[in-house]
Amino acid sequence: MTETTETPSTSPFDAMLEGSLKDIGIPPRPLILERISHEMLQPEPDYKRLSSVISADVSLSASLIKTANSPFFGYRGRVRSISEALMMLGLDVASRAIAGIILRQAFPASPHFVRFWDSSARIARLSGWLTQYLGNHKLRPDDAYTFGLFRDCGIPILHLRFPDYPTVLAQANEEARLGFTAVEDAKLPTNHAMVGCLLAQSWWLPEELCLAIRHHHDATVIEMPAFTPPPTSRYRIAMAQFAEYLLQRHTGLSHTCEWEKLGTACLRLLNIAEDEVDGILAAAVPVIEAEE
Amino acid sequence: MQANGIDPSTGFLDRDSCLDLLGRLASSAAASRQMLAALWIDLSRMKQVNESFGHLGGDMVIAQIAQRLREKSAGRGEWCRMGGDEFVCLIPHCDAEHARQLAQDLLQTIEAPIRFGEIFLHPSASIGVAILEADEDPFVFLERADRAMGTARRQGGGRAVASGEEPLPGRLGVLLAREELRIENQLHLALENGGLSLHYQPIVGFDGRIEAVEALMRCTVDNEHIPPGKLIPVAEKTGLITRLGEWSLLAGARHASHLNNAGYRTKVAINVSRAQLSSAKFGQALHAALLCANVSPELIELELTESLFMDISETVQANLHTARTAGVGLAIDDFGTGYSCLANLKDIPATKLKLDRAFVIVLPHDRRAFAVVKVMTQLGRELGMTVVAEGVEEQAQLDALREAGVDAIQGYIHARPMPEDALLEWFRKRSAA
Repeated sequence: MTETTETPSTSPFDAMLEGSLKDIGIPPRPLILERISHEMLQPEPDYKRLSSVISADVSLSASLIKTANSPFFGYRGRVRSISEALMMLGLDVASRAIAGIILRQAFPASPHFVRFWDSSARIARLSGWLTQYLGNHKLRPDDAYTFGLFRDCGIPILHLRFPDYPTVLAQANEEARLGFTAVEDAKLPTNHAMVGCLLAQSWWLPEELCLAIRHHHDATVIEMPAFTPPPTSRYRIAMAQFAEYLLQRHTGLSHTCEWEKLGTACLRLLNIAEDEVDGILAAAVPVIEAEE
Repeated sequence: MQANGIDPSTGFLDRDSCLDLLGRLASSAAASRQMLAALWIDLSRMKQVNESFGHLGGDMVIAQIAQRLREKSAGRGEWCRMGGDEFVCLIPHCDAEHARQLAQDLLQTIEAPIRFGEIFLHPSASIGVAILEADEDPFVFLERADRAMGTARRQGGGRAVASGEEPLPGRLGVLLAREELRIENQLHLALENGGLSLHYQPIVGFDGRIEAVEALMRCTVDNEHIPPGKLIPVAEKTGLITRLGEWSLLAGARHASHLNNAGYRTKVAINVSRAQLSSAKFGQALHAALLCANVSPELIELELTESLFMDISETVQANLHTARTAGVGLAIDDFGTGYSCLANLKDIPATKLKLDRAFVIVLPHDRRAFAVVKVMTQLGRELGMTVVAEGVEEQAQLDALREAGVDAIQGYIHARPMPEDALLEWFRKRSAA
């Protein structure tokens, strides 16, 4: 979609490079996000101009309208056009929703990645729905949703860079004691949480989101009253982890040991008692199944 | 509501009783030549608690924290509630060291989460510490504790500051603190709205080769340019420096990759802060940046700020070696002034020495400076480093530096720092010539 977007402030040189970098799977900040934030900084943002820029990309437009209308995103009411979506969501939320949509498109389309992104999207949607359902005042559904999409975006980057990353990933998923990223750190010079955090920072995403990505496997930060990450980062982490656990319970497939390591802290932070989980899952099942 | 000078929610003395007691304790301390310490404690975010849970809820939280304070101080001091969320503890026979220790213990006990209905609250506080000085007015003494607390709060809270350690007391201090808060706010805006960019200044060798380009951070919010001199100290104080540093790492590495793809294989030198290098996660962040930018590590150089020399810890050493092992170059910035120390040179696996501009501006007339430059250059060479002089503006300076044996020059004489596109144009023109 970036090809259809004109951004006068960015040179053709950048556009050319963005194309070539995209081919090897490294996503710099999409030009359309530049365009939106440029508009957001204006005293009077030109919604009409932005709408036409976004509408020029048919698949992005369709995804944005779908996102704005979805129950998991926390908004009610039907929007039919991009301009309505922008008005209803506001530029701030819209730009993060667009970032989430573009993230997937910034990577090469391979069957393996399709499964990965589908799984991220499921976690994102359920996180957004859970945030509403549980009435968590510390977190906004759209923030929970965006975090779900971005949480593991470091994984495809490491996949592209390290041929044996699938093996490391499998080991990290099976590790019952050490932290997930500790397994990566032992085998690789970096880990997916750090890579994801840097990517999110370079896309100018909110600090709370970046820090949540960075710390999403750290059991200690979920509950500790540390100054970093801020509380909303911890709620994002816990909500996505809970959503992932419910999805795993529903499908009967558990791919990770993360809930064993982080679950108790997540439930405590979200103030959910162990015996409430089954009820929440029962309420979530129609939502999980409806979207399939 | 209040009986006998006692605050009903906490059981502490109320404000008036506190001031009475202060007078008595101060006189008795003066008479017996004993110490008297005051801790002024301000709880953070109580306004938010009151707004969310009503004043009754707020009072419950206050009562619980008051209970913790009482238990932690174990009868050593007299506790008073000065206002909504402010407490004072007056401690006879207590010196600065003990007062500071107690303040730290209190911070810790305050920060334990409080279960409140369906959520956990994470309280925090700022504490000011003062010790009564000889012949000091007790109210001035208490005010000093209050002011120190204000400093702790402005530094981000969750900390204790002793009176006398504030950067600048008085009105000027308050104005500066406000300015700092404003800049901190601008920095947050910049980080979320794309207000940061890097400008690049070429470093040109005497052989005509482009030795590297140094990436220099620019921050613009609402069309206001915030100079690095204002930005960096605030970023360091607030911990935002790590985020700025990591952003620069990736942005600089991406630019090195852009340049390389455009046919200009030039190193990009990126400034890293002491805070970044003191973090155990530095290696992962560096590799993540190299990976995201898809750039060869040989095209990246880290510029180490001179403050790093104050204390080269094991973590810093390990991080520097990680960088070198990865193939990333290390440049020692501003060498020869400030904290630079010859003894540290042997511990840092640096590949480049950048001589401070202070030596350059007095050239060629100051022959003593010239002698120092010459010796530093020899030293750098002996240690296998490339030697660069910064801040070169005039031909005569350049000639002197050539004579001293310096390898490369950075300064207006070659080019000013410029944005990415302008740098690319500069390269194009240069290769065309």
